Amino acid sequence: MSGHHVSSAKFLWGIAIALFFLTFITVAVTWITIPEPWNVVVAVAIAAVKALIVVLFFMNLWWDEKFNTLLFIMGVVFFLLLIGITLLDTLYRVDPVPSF
Amino acid sequence: MAQTSAELEERLDHLQHHFVDSDQQFDSSKMGMWVFLVTEILTFGGLFAAYIVYRSWYPELYLEASTELNAFWGTVNTAVLIGSSLTVAMAIRSAQLNQIKGLIINLWITIGLAVTFMVIKYFEYAEKFEKGILPGRYYSYDGLEHEKANIFFSIYYMMTGLHGLHVIIGIGLMLWLVKKAKQKVFHSGYYTPVEITGLFWHLVDVIWIFLFPLLYLID
Repeated sequence: MSGHHVSSAKFLWGIAIALFFLTFITVAVTWITIPEPWNVVVAVAIAAVKALIVVLFFMNLWWDEKFNTLLFIMGVVFFLLLIGITLLDTLYRVDPVPSF
Repeated sequence: MAQTSAELEERLDHLQHHFVDSDQQFDSSKMGMWVFLVTEILTFGGLFAAYIVYRSWYPELYLEASTELNAFWGTVNTAVLIGSSLTVAMAIRSAQLNQIKGLIINLWITIGLAVTFMVIKYFEYAEKFEKGILPGRYYSYDGLEHEKANIFFSIYYMMTGLHGLHVIIGIGLMLWLVKKAKQKVFHSGYYTPVEITGLFWHLVDVIWIFLFPLLYLID
């Protein structure tokens, strides 16, 4: 049965502790000065790892039907398309829209 | 034998006639929820796109304006939400193991953590409202020099506001789960609403995982 994975309490606590630890790391990297734009890259990279841990082990995609993983990946892909195509416009404008 | 089949019949009271069996019903519900979560990713995605576009136009605005946000309370709220994700996962585990008492306790802890999150959010908002930090043209704070400071806070209020709305909806869903659990609706063979609400709650956590460093920790 694909959708009925039962995680042990120990495992769930382990995941939560990993997430708490990564939250600490997220805050800790702001104490040291990382030059632009790497501070943003590091912050988003840690957030992405945390999100992936939640999605795989709390939302159970690791054990779930592959189709649900496909749905999730499609969501992320279309989100990146949204951002990518928007930036192709906004990054290369001579002037941003004046009233905004 | 008669007792076994009666037991079996009772345990199948959740099964709707258009599904072959419990598993098919469960997997269909779950897939439907994932489709919904994709629309959620793209809804928040639009707001993240706005965030990214304005940050690329006015990077110095974000540096300056984020100093108005309290990183300490942001960190506390992150920990609160991760904790609530853990308790929701524990609630699902309890339901899977037929531990209905544990399910209800874990749901109450989750609701408590969600309320804690909203209370902290309320104090954060109240402090800003008092200073005149309001979205868009209602912005009247003069502590920031950047002329576009209102734009940062419009984005801040839209993102955290929509996220907060999700937290409130999540609290409502979990109160409903507690009521259903007390009516002995859930057991190891049927806990679909708990699983689905759990997925929703984890997504709310994932959104916050990105909002926290992007709004509070810019410097």
